[in-house]
Amino acid sequence: MSSPFSINGGACVAMVGKDCVAIACDLRLGLQALTVSNNFPKIFQYGDNVFLGLTGLATDLSTVSDLFRYKVNMYRLREERNIAPKTFANLPFICGFDSIGCIDFAADFIVSGTATDQLYGMCESLWEPNLAPEDLFETISQALMSAVDRDALSGWGAYVYIIEKDKVTKRLLKGRQD
Amino acid sequence: MADRYSFSLTTFSPSGKLVQIEYALNAVNQGVTALGIKATNGIVLATEKKSSSPLADPSSLSKISLITPNIGMVYSGMGPDYRVLVDKARKVSHTGYKRIYNEYPPTRILVQDVARVMQEATQSGGVRPYGVSLLIAGWDEGILPEGDEEKEAEEAAGGDEKKKPSGKTGGILKGGPMLYQVDPSGSYFPWKATAIGKSATTAKTFLEKRYTEGLELEDAVHIALLTLKETIEGEMNGETIEIGIVGPPADHLLGVEGVEGARGPRFRKLTPQEIEDYLTNL
Amino acid sequence: MPGFDFSNYNRNAALHARGVPLPKATSTGTTIVGCIFEGGVVIAADTRATSGPIVADKNCEKLHYISPNIWCAGAGTAADTEFTTALISSQLELHSLSTGRKPRVVTCMTMLKQHLFRYQGHIGAYLVVAGVDPTGTHLFTVHAHGSTDKLPYVTMGSGSLAAMSVFETQWKPQLTQDEAVALCSEAIQSGIFNDLGSGSNVDVAIITDKKTTLKRNYIKPNERVPKLKSYIFKRGTTAVLNEKIIRKEDLGNFVSVHELAVEETGDKMEVDA
Repeated sequence: MSSPFSINGGACVAMVGKDCVAIACDLRLGLQALTVSNNFPKIFQYGDNVFLGLTGLATDLSTVSDLFRYKVNMYRLREERNIAPKTFANLPFICGFDSIGCIDFAADFIVSGTATDQLYGMCESLWEPNLAPEDLFETISQALMSAVDRDALSGWGAYVYIIEKDKVTKRLLKGRQD
Repeated sequence: MADRYSFSLTTFSPSGKLVQIEYALNAVNQGVTALGIKATNGIVLATEKKSSSPLADPSSLSKISLITPNIGMVYSGMGPDYRVLVDKARKVSHTGYKRIYNEYPPTRILVQDVARVMQEATQSGGVRPYGVSLLIAGWDEGILPEGDEEKEAEEAAGGDEKKKPSGKTGGILKGGPMLYQVDPSGSYFPWKATAIGKSATTAKTFLEKRYTEGLELEDAVHIALLTLKETIEGEMNGETIEIGIVGPPADHLLGVEGVEGARGPRFRKLTPQEIEDYLTNL
Repeated sequence: MPGFDFSNYNRNAALHARGVPLPKATSTGTTIVGCIFEGGVVIAADTRATSGPIVADKNCEKLHYISPNIWCAGAGTAADTEFTTALISSQLELHSLSTGRKPRVVTCMTMLKQHLFRYQGHIGAYLVVAGVDPTGTHLFTVHAHGSTDKLPYVTMGSGSLAAMSVFETQWKPQLTQDEAVALCSEAIQSGIFNDLGSGSNVDVAIITDKKTTLKRNYIKPNERVPKLKSYIFKRGTTAVLNEKIIRKEDLGNFVSVHELAVEETGDKMEVDA
């Protein structure tokens, strides 16, 4: 029996740049070695500039992303404001979580999914501080694409979001289909 | 067994009134006067500490309470009911907010939580409404950056009226001072300045005359004492008056250095000596 | 039915026995220490968080706030140390408000051990509790199963042996504050360099009856040398199939909010006021 964390595969990465952040995911949905879909995004939006990337068991991604959507919507109705604590609302900010809720406040990058080990290596070598939005896009894209090419369970294209103060740019990347 | 046969004591009269709530308001209107005034840079809460006997030890009595580091509360009506509400307000600010979002609730959220507790007492079985009205004062940090405030204020006002640019007007988005009254029915109202209790009407008439837009906290404390003077029965001194203020963050009360982003509490009670100093300058 | 429901635990144990690996939780395979000095207490920690053999966080925070005068250093399962200390901090704050007294270290330690004992070690929090209260200076360790110790100097985590060797060779009674800070830092560095589960920087908290001083990244013995060459790609390197830009001012195209005029029809809801 295999781990629920690696049945469906998938990879996510987030990076901090200068006055911007980026988050990216692959598009594969698999059942062990069989690829079921090449259009299964793993990034969910919860506000003007709040994004969450999830990897793991696909059914849990749906459950958890829907639960968070419910919680965020309830927060918005109750508080009449978007969910964004002041400190983080206007700062480029990323963080990661393990499966039981330990927060990793990172100043550089966060990785998750079956390509975690590869992504750590890519990010550790490619990332540098104060990347402009355009440069951050190239760095996160190349880090993700190179990492998933060495992970059998991830890949099949990617979505990359570049989040700036006044705009969000979403790009679909061409990736190997094998 | 007990819960099966407990019916609400608060039921509609044929004319559509809930008389138990009106009786609760009567209890409030016999209570010692309490008042609150919102300034541009803070809020003041004030009340009289009435002791029925010269043998009573007033220093052990406290009517104004800290709920969260940025929110304070005062009451008029029944003291024992108030203390129950203080405990519940403090608890709900943790269980219903801080343990979920890792920050203290904004004033309006806390007010809604307390109002819910009071409303439930008007519809639940076997309980009576709380015999208190509350004044809740708090400062919200807001989520908009400094620059956006004016723009937001203009949008909110429809751009037709130029607001005073310096003062934060309160609220969750812009941040700033907020002052609410909560009644036994569970209804709540935001105020610039108000009073509750025995001489609420007199006090409110006085406040209407003295209140001006763009008030500073120091002026507000001054007006609070003058208003209290109009209504008070006994002598006014540091022992018989209680004042709580929501002002600038008191970082020296934090007790901790080197924690990034930590701010000191904004709510604090004035010491008898500080009250005496204000009184001599009255 | 009173008591805990262990059915999920039994399910997980059965799955594990059939070969399903346990989820990788972030662990603070850690070095944490504490040491009493004349007039207060120091606690210190390294800043590495691990997930299996992978370094998950190179500069995490293992010194947890309980109250201004009580702090905890945490080892074990990172989420458990984080949430347990946050819960006890919250309970202690409410307790302190209703009693009108400063929180006491024994109260904190007792609440922690009762909480952890109730969960029979399933909450993997190993803590050093330190603080100064009206009854004096205190230093405790609390283990995940609920046992506690009270000692003048303590170490915990995977680097505890390395750190303890420093205390056992260099500790002496009646240390000054500076000596205690230096000794704790030395003990943490021993963990950082000799224990693979510990690494990166030294965090220190000094608690006296006057105030608490947190020295985040007090020593940074493992700073990464900046890259001599930049790996920035030429813009346009990555092939893009499709691009969509949403500007803040364009958000109105997707959602529109209109304030509707309030119609004064029928009776108002408010009864009083």
